[in-house]
Amino acid sequence: MGRKKAVLSVNGKIRDLHSLPGHYGWFTALTSFLPGLFIVLVWIIFGSNLVDNFTLAALGDEIRSLSNFDRALYMNDIHNLAIGDAISRPLTNSLNNATNFYLRTQNNLLWIFTLSAIGVSSLLAIFSFRKISPELRSRNLVERLIIIMLVISSSIAILITIGIVSSLIVETLRFLEHVSLSEFLLGLKWSPQTALRADQVGSSGSFGAIPLFTGTLLITFIALLVAVPVGLFSAIYMTEFASPNARIFFKPLLELLAGIPTVVYGFFAALVVAPVIRNSGEVIGLEIASESALAAGLVMGIMIIPLISSLSDDVISSVPQSLRDASYGLGATKTETIVNVILPSALPGIVSAFLLAASRAIGETMIVVMAAGMAANLTANPLEAVTTVTVQILALLTGDQEFDSAKTLSAFALGLALFTITLFLNFIALKLVRKYQEQYD
Amino acid sequence: MDKTTVQELIQPTIKARNVDVYYGETHALMGIDLDIAPKTVTALIGPSGCGKSTFLRCINRMNDTIPSCRMTGKITLDGEDIYSKNIDVVQLRAKVGMVFQKANPFPKSIYDNVAYGPRIHGLAADDKDLDEIVFSSLQRSGLWNEVKDRLDKSGTALSGGQQQRLCIARTIAVNPEVILMDEPCSALDPIATAIIEELIADLKERFTIVIVTHSMQQAARLSQKTAFFHLGKILEFGDTSEIFTNPRVEKTKDYITGRYG
Repeated sequence: MGRKKAVLSVNGKIRDLHSLPGHYGWFTALTSFLPGLFIVLVWIIFGSNLVDNFTLAALGDEIRSLSNFDRALYMNDIHNLAIGDAISRPLTNSLNNATNFYLRTQNNLLWIFTLSAIGVSSLLAIFSFRKISPELRSRNLVERLIIIMLVISSSIAILITIGIVSSLIVETLRFLEHVSLSEFLLGLKWSPQTALRADQVGSSGSFGAIPLFTGTLLITFIALLVAVPVGLFSAIYMTEFASPNARIFFKPLLELLAGIPTVVYGFFAALVVAPVIRNSGEVIGLEIASESALAAGLVMGIMIIPLISSLSDDVISSVPQSLRDASYGLGATKTETIVNVILPSALPGIVSAFLLAASRAIGETMIVVMAAGMAANLTANPLEAVTTVTVQILALLTGDQEFDSAKTLSAFALGLALFTITLFLNFIALKLVRKYQEQYD
Repeated sequence: MDKTTVQELIQPTIKARNVDVYYGETHALMGIDLDIAPKTVTALIGPSGCGKSTFLRCINRMNDTIPSCRMTGKITLDGEDIYSKNIDVVQLRAKVGMVFQKANPFPKSIYDNVAYGPRIHGLAADDKDLDEIVFSSLQRSGLWNEVKDRLDKSGTALSGGQQQRLCIARTIAVNPEVILMDEPCSALDPIATAIIEELIADLKERFTIVIVTHSMQQAARLSQKTAFFHLGKILEFGDTSEIFTNPRVEKTKDYITGRYG
């Protein structure tokens, strides 16, 4: 419509318009549609709260004077009754009235919001439609609107991150009311069973996170021991030796590894690798637990091979060809060139690939649950069962839990600690990559 | 006897006979015959894409690194066929050094850049020996006075002209017989170019130099022999003074006087 008017306003001589006809169309559409959308969003997010508050205000003092908890329960019954669900108390007149009032308010507010959305939209539509003239710089205005939309989108991502981190921090602080920081960070015993009743025996709960972190580190270390050489060597082969045809064939195959769901790796570790390790241990007379850090670490290493190899592949191929030529021109062989020129130039990038792989391994859960077990042993022996931070978080939060016990809250503290570690690793990795990029710009 | 005949009596260092090069389907060089005399500067000139650089890269077999590249014919260095099976490419490239169009120092220290070649070829008996090689190479490339206080600084931090001289120092540190230069000054300003041209004039006392250039003046100033390449063939080859004052082929004349195309 806006487009048509714009074209008409100059009698079809598009050249006389400031912007392209399409921009006028977009201008009208965006200015009228976006505020309407905003109102709808406000309704979706705050609507139910608003209705509740109106209803509460209309209810008698007896309800308002109830405790927070009981009031919530009462509101819950109103909600349930409104949609015809079962309620927790005998149906009284007052409850019925309240529910009717609630439904009416909900209905009215919905109308108000719908009407205002349509109203605002059409008002703005008329307004922007009237503004259309050959002089209107709608191209620039549309540009601005698009930028605003992009800014909003990226802020949403940032805000969500901030929200998650701050909820982690808040819950961790609540956890630290139960358990001291030093006990959490330095304690050597992890046994999060707290007493549900005061008279229960033997479950005082201890929250020393050291065994979890050593378990995590042990498994990550084994994984890197597998993945670093294999990943790096395959990246070198792919970039420096493989013929284009071999590259086309092998690279997708290698990256297929990255597409396998971790739960598949998990049962592969538990059902194939772990028994093999145990049996071969028996042959040489070693006692090996059926759930061992070794099995989990090996399989996790296989999982992160594609990560290391494809990242290293990228940094190795971005070493300028001129450096290779220079080295070959001096009579260096391929291996000499790789060892003396290519790897040193690509080193920061390769190291950051290792760090990213490590933080991926630290955050991995499924494989460890299935292959390494739940026992929080403080050991450096890869043949014993260990557990990791992620596995414990999983264990703490699955099943029925009371939400404010130290046991549940400790999951948040573990989560925060884990987040800090991986954030730190990623930060260093990014720093290194940036330093590497500067070298060739 | 005049000078030309004396030079012709000397056995040429490099002899190319009937060299053809293909990149996949493209026929880049056709039947190249060229003799390059020792301790002279030979300039290869011609329009872009005529095969000068391709021919240069045949002399130290750098084209081997390009998978689609195929070559027939014969090139000999001191009478030895460099494409025969018992030639070690590594040895060949130590004898035939190369300086590239864009200065490409390694992201290592200045010292390590120069020491790279001697190290991989085991040319230095001990550290003192290596110091000596680095010193004399930098000295000969005219860089010593500018960098002697910062040998441990990165080679990539030098200016463009200094980087190119560092690359030359790196090449002569291996003590090659021939130095191939692929438009070594095309990315440099006139002052840096003048310094490098002076350096090349000095270097020809000890090395055989083959230089690809797009600058007619540079070819005229520096070289004793000039070959004019056109569409994969050598149209004219002879003494530089002869080619620039009295070209036999019309195309050469057009090219060097700037009336080409």
